[in-house]
Amino acid sequence: MKPAEVSTPSDREVLVKRSFDAPVNLVWQAYTDPALMRRWLTAMPGWSMPVCEMAVHVGGKYRWRWRFEESGQEFGFIGEMLEVVLHSKISHTQIYDPGDQGGSMGAEPSIVTVTFVEVNGTTNVETSIKFASQSDRDAAMSTGMTDGMEMSYQSLDVVLAG
Amino acid sequence: MYMKQLDQAFAALADPTRRGILVHLARGEATVNDLVALFHLTQPTISSHIKVLESAGLISRSRQAQMRPCKLEAKRLQEVTKWLSKVQEVWEGKYTRLDALLAELKQAQKEERKK
Repeated sequence: MKPAEVSTPSDREVLVKRSFDAPVNLVWQAYTDPALMRRWLTAMPGWSMPVCEMAVHVGGKYRWRWRFEESGQEFGFIGEMLEVVLHSKISHTQIYDPGDQGGSMGAEPSIVTVTFVEVNGTTNVETSIKFASQSDRDAAMSTGMTDGMEMSYQSLDVVLAG
Repeated sequence: MYMKQLDQAFAALADPTRRGILVHLARGEATVNDLVALFHLTQPTISSHIKVLESAGLISRSRQAQMRPCKLEAKRLQEVTKWLSKVQEVWEGKYTRLDALLAELKQAQKEERKK
């Protein structure tokens, strides 16, 4: 599969696109079943996900918490489901809980929308993260939990490499 | 301090004109007058962009020469782009693990159907 494509369609938005070689019902399962989520959402080696709770219905709450086993440092996300359309769309609020890890993503919740579209057994997933403001987005980018690599940055890279 | 510098660099890079200036400076030094002519913008506009880029550490200006040409601080810019691609690696790492999980689920589903 082609690597994740990341863009910043507006001042306060980050969009990540990626395709997966699997039918949408399996991708949906991997995104909503805590036992499966733990398998791939644990951000880096040495990290575990002691809390992964999901209530996948409108108004349902979720709670994710990661822990770096070596130091015991923790951080997480909490939020509420705004829209749930089986095998098609999940939209939820997201509040960063810095724990003792530090960093900030702004005080206002961001809105995360994940859409799933299956074409011939391949599922295209688009993740949009909409921050309350541009400064929240930039703070989140500095915290390192999201990404805003633009084409123009890449073209700068090419110029610098050449 | 490092995070604050990154924030400043992101804010500086958020503007298309400033990115254009950096691309131009990647080819060589240029004075404010050169940039005014190139971008068809007023001198105060270019000067304010230059100030933002300079305080983010992305460019520097010579103190000696009278025209004070602007120079790209390639090392600083590379730090920023390197950091960004690192964050992208985190996303891709997550998705690679999801690829493996999905392959496993697909296989299990296939075997389930055989039964």
